[in-house]
Amino acid sequence: MGELWRRIVYLFNRRRLEAELEADMEFHREMAARAGQNNFGNVLRIREQAREAWGWTWLDDLVHDLRYGARILTRSPSFSVIIVLVLAIGIGVNVSAFSLFDMVALKPLPVRDPASLLRLERRSPNAYTSEMAYPSFAFYRDHARTLSATMAVLGVPPIQIDNDLQSTSASFATPNYFTELGTPAAYGRLLDPALDSSSASQPVVVLSYSLWQRRFDANPSVIGRTIHLNRKPVTVVGVTPYSFASLGGQGPDLWMPIAEQPYLIEGSKVLADWTNSSIRMWGRLGSGVTAKAAEQELRALTDQLRKQHAEAVWDNEFIQSTPGGHLQVFQPEMYRVAAMVGVLTLLILAVACANVGGLLLARGITREHEISIRVAIGASRSRIFRQLCTESILLAGLGALTGIALGCSVVHVAIVRLNAPKWLSATPDWRVVLFTIGVMFTSALFFGLAPALQIARQRQRRTTLRQVLLAAQVAASCVLLIASGLLVRATQHVLFNDPGFGYEGTISIDPQLGQHGYSESASKTYLNEMETRLRTVPGVRSVSLVRLPPMGHIVSRENREINGHKMMLYPNWVDPDYFQTMQIPLLLGRTFHPGEKHSVIVSQTFARWAWGDQNPLGQMIPGDDSKDIVVGVVGDAHVNALNDDDAIEGYWAVQSDNMPNMVVVARFAGPPSAVATGARSISESLDPRLFPEIRPLKQLYHDITLQIEQIAGIVSLIGMVAILLAGVGIIGLVGFSISQRTKEIAIRLALGSSKPRLCVALLKQFGPSIASGFAAGTLLAVFSSKFLRVALFGVSNLDPVGFAGGIGILFGVVLFAGILPARRAMRLNVARALHYE
Amino acid sequence: MLILRILQSEALHGYAIAQRIHVLSSEVLVVEEGLLYPTLQKMLVKGWVTAEWGISETNRKVRFYRLTPAGRSQLKAEIAGYGRMTQAIQSILRTA
Repeated sequence: MGELWRRIVYLFNRRRLEAELEADMEFHREMAARAGQNNFGNVLRIREQAREAWGWTWLDDLVHDLRYGARILTRSPSFSVIIVLVLAIGIGVNVSAFSLFDMVALKPLPVRDPASLLRLERRSPNAYTSEMAYPSFAFYRDHARTLSATMAVLGVPPIQIDNDLQSTSASFATPNYFTELGTPAAYGRLLDPALDSSSASQPVVVLSYSLWQRRFDANPSVIGRTIHLNRKPVTVVGVTPYSFASLGGQGPDLWMPIAEQPYLIEGSKVLADWTNSSIRMWGRLGSGVTAKAAEQELRALTDQLRKQHAEAVWDNEFIQSTPGGHLQVFQPEMYRVAAMVGVLTLLILAVACANVGGLLLARGITREHEISIRVAIGASRSRIFRQLCTESILLAGLGALTGIALGCSVVHVAIVRLNAPKWLSATPDWRVVLFTIGVMFTSALFFGLAPALQIARQRQRRTTLRQVLLAAQVAASCVLLIASGLLVRATQHVLFNDPGFGYEGTISIDPQLGQHGYSESASKTYLNEMETRLRTVPGVRSVSLVRLPPMGHIVSRENREINGHKMMLYPNWVDPDYFQTMQIPLLLGRTFHPGEKHSVIVSQTFARWAWGDQNPLGQMIPGDDSKDIVVGVVGDAHVNALNDDDAIEGYWAVQSDNMPNMVVVARFAGPPSAVATGARSISESLDPRLFPEIRPLKQLYHDITLQIEQIAGIVSLIGMVAILLAGVGIIGLVGFSISQRTKEIAIRLALGSSKPRLCVALLKQFGPSIASGFAAGTLLAVFSSKFLRVALFGVSNLDPVGFAGGIGILFGVVLFAGILPARRAMRLNVARALHYE
Repeated sequence: MLILRILQSEALHGYAIAQRIHVLSSEVLVVEEGLLYPTLQKMLVKGWVTAEWGISETNRKVRFYRLTPAGRSQLKAEIAGYGRMTQAIQSILRTA
């Protein structure tokens, strides 16, 4: 330690100590001269050796190299600016992608002790739900010793405030929610375990900051006022803070204590129903407890619960914990998407690096003179190599600085546009900075190492490396363009293809009977009446019942293995008119009889996978122990899996025990508002306590396709950036190699060579590398495109049009980028060029 | 080791160290300047010697190098090591 300290002292007092050393040696020389010896040797050399003992030579060299590098860069500013810009784009794209990932999955929530928060979900080997029943939650809450606290949130359909036309999003939370997160109230108070735990407490509501601003004109005197939610009086007690960080990124506008739920949603038995999975559960680890230990305890509790309430627990069920102190709880599928985006952005970086590498290599030729002088006066190869590497790192550093600025402004725009929670900011945190530094060094290594090696060995005239870099650029751009080609195709497919069901002129009406405690028979009466009356509304063509409406809140799916193929089965329970209402074609057989049992209708793809060319009618589903008989085959209609081409559907007839959970779908002609108003007034007269959720399917479908369009747009933008980079790089390389051959071109022209033939001759040398780039890129795309499956809606990942489109565009750009500088060379003034030489 | 030994009795400046070694070794050993100063710097960094200003016999301001306690223990260790080494060499020479 002492030695290190002394070294640092030496570093800071270098000037003085060097002067002292010099004085010492001067004195030594005087004395020696007096004694008649005169062989002191090279004073400077000895002083340098003595200085080396301090161990800071490398730092001196580094500073020297940096200064020299900066001088070189300012000498050709346009060249440096281009390199820095190219790198900034490559790094910036990666930084913005990483910061978004960081925000969603890595950044801890600004709440009390976010590291100990757990998201708890029900899992079993073949089932998964993010929600659980409230009584199960209460069981875990009361028995888990490893958790110091548990929180639950029950999301409910939007609620009407007073007489508003638009309803407002709402959630019920356990009263410890805010105290556990350490959230202070902006005004008034938030939920409090001491005041809001019992259903006998005075009904209260907490407003979100934005609702308070929007709906209540940011008036602080709203605290204590009574408002009506679904016509029930409730007292406003507080407002959440502006930058409130909620668990799981949920941001309803109304927060109410969970004990108040039966009051507001009259007749609801959700809080006592063991089979109604509807709350999201979070836990906080007790001090010193690991998540593993908590999971183990919960597993044991699940087994106990199975003994008491078998209906509440699946076979082999366990509670899975995931870190909950982030904006989003990351599911495995989301990691796949993140990895896909990561690969695409890294490809951009690869294009940028290959590009810069080529440019540096080309410039190495112009620096031949300088480098040979330095070698001649005694610089070692390794010294020159180090110098070149320092220059690369300098360039990469400038690129990274610009890139982080670029990336963060992109993120800023994204945050504002996406209406993200207010506590998020685009300012890079240490993870982003560390990532940027990592990317900077990696890219410096990629673009700088090979050229530096070649230049230091003074072999810059060799073209192999340049060709390899060119091929790499073309290959990476090829993959990117094919990816964007496929996504554009997928978007087109979604936009211009029939999704297999009629979403236009269809409306879903969810009266939420089950949530209001309707019995089977009461539900049946209500739904019958609703259907009959709806049919009389002008414009309504067809009405039917379905358990899981298209694009609904609940999606149910099962992993099935059919003839060795892993498929995702989307089951649904419908009444006989469903296919007609949703305009799903009946291809074979018949639809159900009302209430029919032991029969199933399957989708076309299902039938093809399961029975091939055989007649599916009368068969049983392979590997299914229900012994249900297929009575009909309908067209594919991925109503709840628009993006999953491998999805298969199975339909079963509605049974009377499904009744409380049924949703009405209606097909109509004319404006949806007329039907919606009609449905609302029917519901009003049937039961004024109910507030059915009415959703026009066209709007939902539009929202989903808009998302798809946005994704395709972003990927196309990335592809465009890649192609721009590749184009600039190729123009630069071709232009450079042609400028090296000016004399040859002039002589050829003077000797009467035809211009097009000369052009071809000049470009020929790039042929093999570009061709191999295309081949490698296409191959890579073929193998990697299956990762894109998640985002490809209805298009094969080997879609020939997508591939051809991507390759075609890239080929055009490459051709253009090659011919542009070549043509310019042809316009050369022969006489002057030859004279010049 | 020799430099450390020379500095054991008193603080000396660079030239004097070279002279002392030259004289004490009966003019057999000549310490090259190119070796002396880098070594002194190394010893300074290691903390075996410290340097302080003094006036030379020719009335010039020069730096005198002085042994530190760390330097003393280093010297002891080196002398012990050297002793072992010469004994070993001696015994080989005697038997061979």
